[in-house]
Amino acid sequence: MIELKNIIKRYEINKNNTVTALNGINLTVKEGELVVLKGASGSGKSTILSLIAALSKPTSGEVIVDDKRVSKLPDNFASDFRRDNVGFIFQKYNLINSLSVKENIILPLVPMNLHVNIVEAKLKRVLKMFHIENKENILVKNLSGGEQQRVAIARANINEPKIILADEPTANLDEKLSMKFIDILKELRQQGKTVIVATHDPLFFNLDIVDKVVEIHQGLIS
Amino acid sequence: MNIYLVEYAINSLLRQKYKTIFVTVILTTLVFLLTSVFFITNSIKYELQSTVDALPEIVVQKIKAGRHYDLDSERVDDILEITGVNSAVARVWGYYYFANVGVNFTVVGIDEYEEQYKNSLNLIAKSLDFSTNSMFVGEGVKKSMSESYYKEYFNFIKPNGTLKKMNISGVFEGDTQLESNDMIVMSKENARDIFDMSQSRATDIVVKVANVDEIHTVASKIRLIFPDSRVITKDDLKISYQNIFDYKSGIFLALFVVSLFTFFIIIYDKASGLSSEEKREIGILKAIGWRVDDVLKEKFYEGFIISFFAYLLGVFLSLGFVYILKAPLIQKIFTGYSELKTSFDLPFVFDIQTLALVFFLSVPIYIAATIIPSWRSATLEADEVMR
Repeated sequence: MIELKNIIKRYEINKNNTVTALNGINLTVKEGELVVLKGASGSGKSTILSLIAALSKPTSGEVIVDDKRVSKLPDNFASDFRRDNVGFIFQKYNLINSLSVKENIILPLVPMNLHVNIVEAKLKRVLKMFHIENKENILVKNLSGGEQQRVAIARANINEPKIILADEPTANLDEKLSMKFIDILKELRQQGKTVIVATHDPLFFNLDIVDKVVEIHQGLIS
Repeated sequence: MNIYLVEYAINSLLRQKYKTIFVTVILTTLVFLLTSVFFITNSIKYELQSTVDALPEIVVQKIKAGRHYDLDSERVDDILEITGVNSAVARVWGYYYFANVGVNFTVVGIDEYEEQYKNSLNLIAKSLDFSTNSMFVGEGVKKSMSESYYKEYFNFIKPNGTLKKMNISGVFEGDTQLESNDMIVMSKENARDIFDMSQSRATDIVVKVANVDEIHTVASKIRLIFPDSRVITKDDLKISYQNIFDYKSGIFLALFVVSLFTFFIIIYDKASGLSSEEKREIGILKAIGWRVDDVLKEKFYEGFIISFFAYLLGVFLSLGFVYILKAPLIQKIFTGYSELKTSFDLPFVFDIQTLALVFFLSVPIYIAATIIPSWRSATLEADEVMR
């Protein structure tokens, strides 16, 4: 279960200027739920995802995942938490363009120094799951937007995380590819993963697989 | 060792190929220059030390109007009477300028039954045929003569313009190349003939003293007996050799420090400035679960691979430059008067300390220059780095 308690997050622009991204958020997401965070650009959706993934720390308040206070974790423990529990699908995919599909997907496993057979097995599983088996050795920069997204999803799933966070996943996709992404979400949901999608794409708001739609407006839940 | 991390580091270097090539070239040049200078310095120091060790304890010259003149070889008898003197030998030697090649040869005359003042001359005294016009020549002399087609003999031009034909009996190796390379050894009689010296004259006298602590006392006594003489001790020669070498090393070192500093600035500038792409990459790696130490390990491998490769390449290039190509240009800075001297080979001196010094001046410094900025980025929140 994911709990956000009285979360305030301020970004310091310079010494005299701060921007309040979240202003007292309380949110609970149960295990296996698919939750959509809805809101305009700059409303604070991405910041919520970033806090859940322990990519940043709240100015005040607590983020608790499975009884673990991730907002208090030191940097290295936060990295371990992400590696073991979270798959993050970024808006711009955040792939390393000059690496191949395979190299990008196995990146989270690199520091773990696993046996080559284990790495290969994990790789094969996600390549098959997201239908990119034949793209394994192609450089990411030579792929289409939809293919790049599937690589990003495969990378987020290589370590079989319990939580999938997707930030504006359809922002760069046409309708057909967006529908394909929703199919992938269904699959992930069926696997029992907790999925949180931050989006302003109306396509997500009336899906039957969505458990909860949370609207964020100016750093607050509406 | 994490092979995936090493593979990632290699890939990362290949991905930034222009930066990698630039840093490798600069770092290799730096290591190459540094190692070459140390190799040459070590070799020449070794040569000088051997030369100084082979020097006579006391040399007595005659001075007239502040200049060096021939002396009467009978002075040997007076010197031998000084208490503490082991031996005194009148030397006949001088420089012969060979205009065809533009070098000076050192012509040394020896006597068959005389004690030689140098070990290397004892061997020649046994092999040289004193009854004929024959001589032994150093490697450099042989080479210079061969260039002018004098392979079996050489015609010396005497001061009166007539020729003196001398047969080359063999090539000898002295205690050091620096000292023996330009040397020609023949009988004193022939040497006097070439220099137009009369039989009773000598160039100088070398004196051996039984107790090295007595050298300065003996030198003072010689000065008293022969007030027109200049008495040079081994210590004086050592200082003079060392001064010339240190002076040249000093100039070179000053220039070298400036260039070294410039190189470091270039390297630091290239290695330490993380591009926005590199910062983003660190952010991505952190976001997908890499720890700070994983990022630093990867950067360490990158730095080590590139700097160690450049180090090895620089050292090997330097070995080839110094010991195979004979260090063109740089060697002249140290040896200086090579226009008048025959060239000599630098002896190979393997000094692990030199290699270690160059290693510590290049590899760890470069690794630090790459790791520190990466550490700064890696310790920031991943979210902040990506934004």
